[in-house]
Amino acid sequence: MASLGGSSSSSTEYIVRVPKNTSKKYSIMAFNSGDKVNCSSWTQARMERDMSNRRMYGVEETEEGAAGSEFGKKQREEARRKKFGIVTREFKVEDQPWILKVNGKAGKRFKGTKKGGITENASYYIFTQCPDGAFEAFPVNGWYNFVPQAKHRTLTAEEAEEEWGRRNKVVNHFSIMLQRRLREQERGPDDDDEEGEKGGKKKKKKGGRGGDLRIHDLEDDLELSSDESDSSGGEDGDSKPKKKEGDVKGKGKGKKKKKKKRGSDSEANEDSDDGDFEGLEVDYMSDESSSEEEVGEEKAKSNKEAVPKGIDEASESEEESEEEKQNEEEGKEEEEEEEGKKTPVQMKKKKDSSGESDTSEDSDIDGEAASALFMVKRTPPKRGGGRGSGGSSRTGSRPGTPSIDSTSTSNTLRAAASKLEQGKRQVVGGSSDSPAAKRLKMESSSTAVTTQSPAPSGKSTPQPPSGKSTPSSSDVQLTEEAVRRYLIRKPMTTKDLLKKFQTKRTGLSSEQTVNVLAQILKRLNPERKNVNDKMHFYLTE
Amino acid sequence: MSEKGEVDLTGAKQNTGVWLVKVPKYLSQQWAKASGRGEVGKLRIGKNQGKAEVEFTLNEDLTMIDSLGNKPSGVQAPRDHPFTMQTVGGQTLAVFTETQSESSKERISLEGLVVQRAECRPAVSENYMKLKRLQIEELSKPVRLSQQLEKAVTTNYKPVANHSYNLEYDRKKKEEGKRARVDKQQVLDMLFSAFEKHQYYNIKDLVDITKQPVSYLKEILRDIGIYNVKGTHKNTWELKPEYRHYQGGEEEEKETDD
Repeated sequence: MASLGGSSSSSTEYIVRVPKNTSKKYSIMAFNSGDKVNCSSWTQARMERDMSNRRMYGVEETEEGAAGSEFGKKQREEARRKKFGIVTREFKVEDQPWILKVNGKAGKRFKGTKKGGITENASYYIFTQCPDGAFEAFPVNGWYNFVPQAKHRTLTAEEAEEEWGRRNKVVNHFSIMLQRRLREQERGPDDDDEEGEKGGKKKKKKGGRGGDLRIHDLEDDLELSSDESDSSGGEDGDSKPKKKEGDVKGKGKGKKKKKKKRGSDSEANEDSDDGDFEGLEVDYMSDESSSEEEVGEEKAKSNKEAVPKGIDEASESEEESEEEKQNEEEGKEEEEEEEGKKTPVQMKKKKDSSGESDTSEDSDIDGEAASALFMVKRTPPKRGGGRGSGGSSRTGSRPGTPSIDSTSTSNTLRAAASKLEQGKRQVVGGSSDSPAAKRLKMESSSTAVTTQSPAPSGKSTPQPPSGKSTPSSSDVQLTEEAVRRYLIRKPMTTKDLLKKFQTKRTGLSSEQTVNVLAQILKRLNPERKNVNDKMHFYLTE
Repeated sequence: MSEKGEVDLTGAKQNTGVWLVKVPKYLSQQWAKASGRGEVGKLRIGKNQGKAEVEFTLNEDLTMIDSLGNKPSGVQAPRDHPFTMQTVGGQTLAVFTETQSESSKERISLEGLVVQRAECRPAVSENYMKLKRLQIEELSKPVRLSQQLEKAVTTNYKPVANHSYNLEYDRKKKEEGKRARVDKQQVLDMLFSAFEKHQYYNIKDLVDITKQPVSYLKEILRDIGIYNVKGTHKNTWELKPEYRHYQGGEEEEKETDD
């Protein structure tokens, strides 16, 4: 090493050596700048060649040994390939990608693919400084670009294509993966029992999701429903599926739709085209009377089955504040959807009554049988309440704008609802009158209440009248006496109180329930105390 | 080998810094000719008015360029090569090595991280221009060449009375003679042992194995085997199911009624 002193520059000279006999082969490991890889933070690392491409190059061995093999097959295959000029590229181990695992199982994984052509026109050398000050230059043998491998779940190509088709409709992207996970979960534990569900799910997955509502053959639906009713118990996963099953049980079409919807329901879909339902409408019109009976049966059935699930439902429905969890929202949406979907008519009705002022819907609905309207009864109040915009859908609701929209459109809702009912009243027989009347009454009362300030319960915004409430057999009446009993027994929050008066049982919409409960509480004027940061009411007698 | 795959991280931990230098092809060729300890030249790193200047000077004895065919051409490689320094940028470039020792233990170790990138450029000089011209000349030569011949080629394809290969073939055939029929039982034994090895056989292959005339062999085969006309193994013979026993490649020999 000689130091040369210059006037304005100082420089040092180093000897450069290119060692000849090294057995080490140098390669470059290149990471993306965005990945922020810090090699010094690695505690341990393992790296191996990725041999997964070997079978592509190697001949696929069909059968070695006696069974199934032919005499001289290999030679014949080779001769054939030569004749046709098929040249298979060799499988070179040096060109295979690397798999790098950092920090053990829980750490990162990288895949390093060889970059071609780096040694074609220029050579890369690695200059390292030796202890004696000289530089040693080693030629670079290969350049590998390492990219991190995702550990999180990704969509397969088919699923990705599906989602791409719905990208303009889906607002809630988190639910896409959530649905996929749910599907997988369910596919896992249920094997034999729930073929029907699986079938339904598959259908849903394949075609249903994109199309929201598809017209399926009735036989399929009925089959599906029977399967689902059998296997209802078997499902783990969510309360949602259970609930759904309970809800839809007995309703052939609805069930299928529900299952199907479960996946897409959770996403916020815009209203689908009216055209989707035209065919369906026709069906229902022809089966009007039968559908009515169906409704009655279903009602009874659903009520029964709703008992165990009712709690879940109720808990879900009650929490209509903005802080609702994603799942519940989805659940609600799905409920709504299923409900709506049970029949296109139902849905449409629901939509109208609960809330979109889609005049286009009205014309369709007017033409339908009024009985269909009453099939909507199940948890309609909940729907109307929670979802507000839920009406939206037969296909889905926009979760983002439930309450806000409802207030603004309450007037139009009322108008639409009343129009609906008039139309219904014309067509339907006596049975419908009373519900319609009752609904109107409730509507008027609830709207009256709506104009007042929001309920003191946990609800943050006033809910529009759903107008869908049907007079189901109510086991629990929302009376002052009942509330008094509860509050005497133990302190309760408004949420708890609401849970007690499930909308399904009392026949009131959630909005109405809230309002009535508010009135009752005002009358009772219970004492308040704060437990766990929650306001509890109680009475001492 | 639990060792395999384990990456030696000492270089990364020490944060050893290395330079990645892009070197022209002719220079790396010259470096390959270095002898002894591998000294190829000198690297001068200087600071000139605040900027770092790096220059590589090739050793005198390595400047002789060999043209194609390892003949010394009259061209000399330029000696001075200033380095153009570049930053690594956001990228993380690590250097790892694979060591294949005789004990066939392949060790992968991380040597260090690239801290500086550089390009070795030749200083433009007369020598360099000549070198470039030589390279261009060599590259511009076409890979395939059409040449005109003065005389027609007469060394191939001379007419022969009989090809040597053919003579050999005839001799072999005569020696072997016609295929003689042996006992049916013997043939059956041969067949069964053959079918033990493979399930499907071409008639030609069976003739080859058993050395029996075709018609005789076919008679026997019709007895114990079936002929596949369709399917994947077309035109092949296989044993009848009752004679087969292919679990694990074993086969029971069934006695045939003669």
